[in-house]
Amino acid sequence: MERRVVVTGIGCVTPIGTSPDDFASGLYAGRIGVGRLTVFDASQYPVQIAAEVHDWDLSSVGEDPTVWRKCPRQTRFAIGAGLQAALQAGLSDAQIDPVRFGVYLGCGEPFEDFTAFTQAVHDAQKSEKTFLDHALRIFDPDTEREYEPDMPAIHLAHILQAQGPVANCVSACVSSTQAIGEASRMIQFDEVDVMLCGGAHSTINPFGVTGFQRLSALSTRNDDPQGAVRPFDADRDGFVIGEGAALFIVEELEHARRRGAEILGEVTGYGSAQDAYRVTDIHPEGRGSATAMQRALQNAGLVPDQISYINAHGTGTPLNDRVETMAIKQAFGQQAYRIPVSSTKSMLGHATTACGAIELAVCLLSLRSGVIPPTMNHDSPDPDCDLDYVPRQPREVSCRHVLSNNVAFGGQNAALIVSRYEEASPATVPVSWAA
Amino acid sequence: MSSNNNRHSNQDRRIVITGIGVVSPMGRTVGRFWEALTHPLDVATKTDSGTALRASGIAHFDGRIEDFDDLPAPTRKTLRKSLKLMNRETQMGVAAGQQALLCSRLLERYESERVGVCFGAGNVSVMPEDFNSAVNACSDDQGEFEMDRWGTDGLSEIAPLWLLKCLPNMPTCHLAIINDLRGPNNTITQRDVSFALAIAEACRNIKCGDADAMLVGATGTTLNGMNLIHARLEDEVCDDSGHCDRQRCHTCGPKPFPAEGAGALVLEDLHVAQQRGAHIYGEVLGSSSAAFIGHDGASACGRALANAMRQSLRQARLSPAVIGHIHAHGLGQPNMQQAESRAIADVFGPAASDTPVVATKGRIGHACAGTEAMEVIASLLALEHDRLFPTDDAGGLPSSGQTEDGWNTAGDSFLSLSMFGRGLGSSIVVGAFRE
Repeated sequence: MERRVVVTGIGCVTPIGTSPDDFASGLYAGRIGVGRLTVFDASQYPVQIAAEVHDWDLSSVGEDPTVWRKCPRQTRFAIGAGLQAALQAGLSDAQIDPVRFGVYLGCGEPFEDFTAFTQAVHDAQKSEKTFLDHALRIFDPDTEREYEPDMPAIHLAHILQAQGPVANCVSACVSSTQAIGEASRMIQFDEVDVMLCGGAHSTINPFGVTGFQRLSALSTRNDDPQGAVRPFDADRDGFVIGEGAALFIVEELEHARRRGAEILGEVTGYGSAQDAYRVTDIHPEGRGSATAMQRALQNAGLVPDQISYINAHGTGTPLNDRVETMAIKQAFGQQAYRIPVSSTKSMLGHATTACGAIELAVCLLSLRSGVIPPTMNHDSPDPDCDLDYVPRQPREVSCRHVLSNNVAFGGQNAALIVSRYEEASPATVPVSWAA
Repeated sequence: MSSNNNRHSNQDRRIVITGIGVVSPMGRTVGRFWEALTHPLDVATKTDSGTALRASGIAHFDGRIEDFDDLPAPTRKTLRKSLKLMNRETQMGVAAGQQALLCSRLLERYESERVGVCFGAGNVSVMPEDFNSAVNACSDDQGEFEMDRWGTDGLSEIAPLWLLKCLPNMPTCHLAIINDLRGPNNTITQRDVSFALAIAEACRNIKCGDADAMLVGATGTTLNGMNLIHARLEDEVCDDSGHCDRQRCHTCGPKPFPAEGAGALVLEDLHVAQQRGAHIYGEVLGSSSAAFIGHDGASACGRALANAMRQSLRQARLSPAVIGHIHAHGLGQPNMQQAESRAIADVFGPAASDTPVVATKGRIGHACAGTEAMEVIASLLALEHDRLFPTDDAGGLPSSGQTEDGWNTAGDSFLSLSMFGRGLGSSIVVGAFRE
């Protein structure tokens, strides 16, 4: 029998809600998490806005925040979301074979301590000694050891005593989408029974803002933070950097049933593809994105008219939204005009490698609530973006299958489909490594 | 979620290796690499590559177009334009990938959407020299650095595409773009176990029908600024920047020297490879990783390693007694080496004493994620030539490649082992191809 993969735990820490319930309330209220950037002093920067997580720390999941003070923000978000998911899934009460329990995250690059880094560069310029000499003197070793992308996965494997595969992937804005898809594949291939998966990221630091600003990717609406992210709107001018995490417990269906876990949805489809066009630009017709969505549909055994809702990548950059619209039309044909599409980045900003996981949480919440979130700030239609973007107001839709789509710098694309859990499922061929 | 994705789906697919590429401190082509590996150690130190190795651990590779060997004219043109967007890790990864593709002759006839790329890589690689002019621009009349001028004076001095240059997923993106590979594309950033995870993921991509072939590899360095600092903080490399001969070094102890390098393999569905008459170097029989985190460092790694070995042997359906040789992680640190020896003894039992164990870090150095890719290629070449190469430092490991009578044969299969000091272990099983 095919091994089916179900979701039994959701955790999220986002700019508009720091638990799944709080997050759902924010989504359906159209709460916008964008404001003045406060994580560091950006008052002299060209871009001074961001979607930040405020008023939250790890005490909310029973951890002592001081223990984690030397970790980057993304690690703290990941620990928070991971523990929420594990709690909801009831992992602590369950008999789980630790060797069959793994972690696969898509956490992004945590840049170094900017002050220490630039000081070391400066000192090396002014002395005979090298950057290395100065850096080893200036950097705090305990802090610096934490600034690797795989540290959230390592910490969570430690806390939850997962002894199966522990992995982190970085493929820009599709990282966490791929992490969830590949974690689900590990379960299907009978390598594990349970995976903690998802992603966390924060590029709200001088390195991140500098990098995205130099790529001309950011909105410069400093005077109107709440109106800055305008996906699919004619007046869109770029994205706003966000941050946060969403993590899930995904589990083989019979394993979940045996331990009486509540099933929150089923991961039914996953597709990944490359544009193979340019590092700097997505393909002008979105060929990789269309292929990823088609593969996800094929993987789920679904046809386009069975999809109830698409959560778009929808960054709010002029190019992304036009091309993503084309890609959806390629993948869904005429059905594209019937399916509601929204971009929750209008509220959350762009959490880069974590965005796919956060948006999958949106999809799972919609499966359960029967409500899909709006695209905020969608005021002026763009003739090139002519789908139903659910402008400004949430909508009641009975969702059975929903698709989350993501696109990345460098040409990577990935899509996931989650479905309302139902007993019936097509039987397929068993999977094994051996010939 | 179905494990069968499309017309080529077949869970019993056998995955074979049809292309090899390497950029290492012991040669930047497969031929040079093997030649250097098989030299007796006292001779190897006198060769060009050996001298460079002992002096600085730097591969004979400058990232110029000439370093990429024989490429078709259009590929050469695209690559030449892309070089300025690549950091050194990316250049090495791309060079190894191009070699593997050329070796496999896969690109003579292929479907773009059926070939993907999956690599292991390190963290974001921020280079101090990219910040020199920006830091200068923020200096006052006395030459003191003024951080609060970054937003106005420093930021604009950063190259517009700087961020894209240093992201870890760039090797896979460039390889996909240069060669029009539109299949699945991902980058694993899990330090020393990245390559094993990448192999496992690429095999799943082929088995589930998303691709007919995957270019899989790993690239890494512990030589440049922040990577060296992180490796030093993790106590993984010696403190003398490689200006030592490990055979006789009394200052750095037994730790390997910092190094750099990359390796790549073309993995392919057996049926597809046979149809096109490809040369088959070996077959991937299993790849697994495991964790045992939060316990005493070295012994935890050993336990994780043992679990990974057992799992990979189960996947391969092989008993330890039939394994031809073991390519050990062989980091050189006594406690890690003891843990590795114990893991081998636990899993292999009595067969441990009859199975040759080789290690090459003493000669290649430690290039983080890139190391195991080079090690697997070394063992694959040993299978091809049916002889092992000398191992410099078996310290504590059960046995080595050299016997009193000459060189051991490589056997029909090998295990490649890797560990990361925070409690991770991985194991890859490769066999000689048999119908």
